[in-house]
Amino acid sequence: MFELLQQSLFSGLLVGSVYALVALGIALTFGAMKIINLAHGELVLLAAYMAYVIESRTGWNPYAAIPLAFAVTALVSIAIYLLIERIREHRELNSLILTFAIGVILTNAILLVFASDVRSTNSPLLQDAVSLGSVYAMNSELLAFVVSLLVMAGLWWWLRNSWYGRAVRAVSSNRDASMLMGIDPRRVELAAFIVAGILASVAGVALYTMSVVQPALGPALTVKAFVVTVLAGVGSIPGVFCAALLLGVTEAMTVTLASSALQELVGMVLFLLVLFFMPNGLFGARARRG
Amino acid sequence: MMRNLPAAALLVAALAIPLVFGGNGYIMGLMVSGLIVAGVALAWALLGNLGGMVSFGHAAFFGVGAYTSAILSAKAGLPVPLSLLAGALGAALCSLVMLPALRLSGPYFALAILAYAHIFKILATELSSITGGSAGFQRFPTLPTIAGIDFSSRTGSYALLVVMVALCALVYRAVKRSHVGTALRAMAESEDATRVVGVNATLLKSWMLLLSAFITGLFGAMNAHIINFLEPDYAFSGNWSVLPIIAAIFGGYRTILGPVAGAVLIYLFDQIIAKELLPVGHQILLGLLLAGMILVAPNGLFGLFQTRRKGAPHAAA
Amino acid sequence: MLRLEDVTVRFGGLVALKEVSFAMGEGEILGLVGPNGAGKTTLFNTISGLVRPRTGRILFKDREIGKLPLHARARLGLGRTFQIPQPMHHLTVRENLTVAQVFGAGASDPARIDEILEVMELAEHADRDAATELALQELKRLEVAKALATNPALLLLDEVLAGLESHAKRRFIAKLRELHQRYALAIVIVEHDIETISSLCSRAVVLNFGELIADGTPEEVFRNPAVVESYTGTADA
Repeated sequence: MFELLQQSLFSGLLVGSVYALVALGIALTFGAMKIINLAHGELVLLAAYMAYVIESRTGWNPYAAIPLAFAVTALVSIAIYLLIERIREHRELNSLILTFAIGVILTNAILLVFASDVRSTNSPLLQDAVSLGSVYAMNSELLAFVVSLLVMAGLWWWLRNSWYGRAVRAVSSNRDASMLMGIDPRRVELAAFIVAGILASVAGVALYTMSVVQPALGPALTVKAFVVTVLAGVGSIPGVFCAALLLGVTEAMTVTLASSALQELVGMVLFLLVLFFMPNGLFGARARRG
Repeated sequence: MMRNLPAAALLVAALAIPLVFGGNGYIMGLMVSGLIVAGVALAWALLGNLGGMVSFGHAAFFGVGAYTSAILSAKAGLPVPLSLLAGALGAALCSLVMLPALRLSGPYFALAILAYAHIFKILATELSSITGGSAGFQRFPTLPTIAGIDFSSRTGSYALLVVMVALCALVYRAVKRSHVGTALRAMAESEDATRVVGVNATLLKSWMLLLSAFITGLFGAMNAHIINFLEPDYAFSGNWSVLPIIAAIFGGYRTILGPVAGAVLIYLFDQIIAKELLPVGHQILLGLLLAGMILVAPNGLFGLFQTRRKGAPHAAA
Repeated sequence: MLRLEDVTVRFGGLVALKEVSFAMGEGEILGLVGPNGAGKTTLFNTISGLVRPRTGRILFKDREIGKLPLHARARLGLGRTFQIPQPMHHLTVRENLTVAQVFGAGASDPARIDEILEVMELAEHADRDAATELALQELKRLEVAKALATNPALLLLDEVLAGLESHAKRRFIAKLRELHQRYALAIVIVEHDIETISSLCSRAVVLNFGELIADGTPEEVFRNPAVVESYTGTADA
């Protein structure tokens, strides 16, 4: 029993790192534009299908699909941004409906092109299990964890040191003041959407290598990312990372101790508990009250 | 008289359809389903227009209403008219669980409801001893025959739904014109000013959520007894969230009748035209339509006509 | 009627109100004075419920209201105006008052609405859209009218007289006296003009940097060296 728990703890941590990438994409665009991109889950899914395309057509490692996946998600992300830009009235709610509609479009586009079959990697290399002491992991899970950490470190560096990254942080914390400082918020918003596209592309490819994908997965991914941001309480990268790991571990524990069908439910319950008792999230101080 | 013109036109259309297509089971079946969507769209728009809340999770209320009524009529032997009511109440009860989400501001509320909808779908699948799980639930009564009218026939169901949609529209109108409706109208853009004169904003919004869930549950329940088969993937399908949103936006969610007319048109479009063009993934057309409406005419087709009228868009009936 | 005990309000690291205590009786008209940024509006926000105090108690009609939500305080009889008028959008003037009356006073009484419209000289504007079709002075009168419609026992007036020329100001002061009499109101009024405070109020309290630095008759207060310094001090800064 103890080994099982240990194993699920470990697997949960590995999966959680990918959840963190998805959640950070949503958090980034929300920070810059105060708009939640409901199509973000579909963006991740789109990247996963690009990995499928590369693997099934060329037989290369799915990770070779990252450039293609990035090109696709970045283009779609930019398109989403440009469309949101065109909304004039009731921007907050209308953008929500618009991105929801884009999500429906993307889901059905994927369905049209790739059919409703479940897809996953068939690379023996990625599916091989390695043992680390008393726990096991697939190569793909370890790789996804390492890549996610690298990408998050890159994001952290970008937000801290590059002009655009600092501008994103400035716009996120105080839009008006940053405009006075000469920052054009539109360029910053666009940058945030492109970077969210990068995060989605890596997350999607990683997801494809370690799990199965199907066209209907998009909304579930968005909801998961949302649960993570609520747990984290909109804030720092470490906060989102910890919340994502928590969600991953809780899900894995549930699968081990109860049933895999309840996996989705436990995330929701966690989400409800936080909503009821800690409306500012586990790691955040900023209120989201209306 | 001019103000009642859309209502009169819709009523005439509602009466003409069974006279023209009464013998055509296919068309009448589509109309019945279209009216189900119309009821949900009306409820969705009520929440959006009066409560200022966008919901992506009305499928939860729809599914709960359907299962509650089906189970109570089959296992507890409740007469169908009562079980329909119980279904509506069950959905309203479910919305109580969502009340904490009202503390969240706009986009977060929308996502919270989306998350809730997932929970209910999972519950319906997992509680298979009660719901039959993913194998589905059947063998529950159809709509009854009352006063010589067989409501389980296509035309009977159609008549029932027309009356129920009309009743709900009247309730919506009464709420909108009441003091509660006036206060909610003010709340949309001046929340502090409205609360400071004694309006309990959260309470009023809660009532709107309850009412919206009640109506959605009612239509979910009626649909269950018309279709006579339930499975979680159907009763809690994202379609019951997506179609009403598109219908309401298309018809104009600030109006009462816009979502109703929009629902029937959208449903017919989806079933007759979109499905013909694209048997798989036909909802891509609905997605495109929704995105297009938000960008070009966020107040809907009916809204387009009404913006010329004097007064705020909220005031349009 | 109203009693504040050691009320402290912080915004992040900033102390907006520091251990403010005072009490006022029924029917009293209290002047609230102090330089800009002294915390007068914050004090109103705290009493009416827009801002939660970090510590301290607020008692209204011998009841602790510090944790009650905004709307509940309004129903208890606490009416307020905003310095920048906040009409309810998409509503006519009459609808503004009706909502205030139905939800604030808990009863619908069209005759009283008419009376308030008459008293506040808004009768001819009754059917206009409040947010878009009123001039600034009409909006200010609407602020008072809305508060009155909730049937308050205590009225918090935030600079309702600012920007009025002297004739209009005298008329408004007379109006306030009339309201005070007619509806047996207690009033707290924020006002910069010493003359107005002296003629209208029996008592004044002075805030400076969030602290209550003087409490007494207007005469006493305005002769208080600390008060004089607070004004000249900020004038120099």
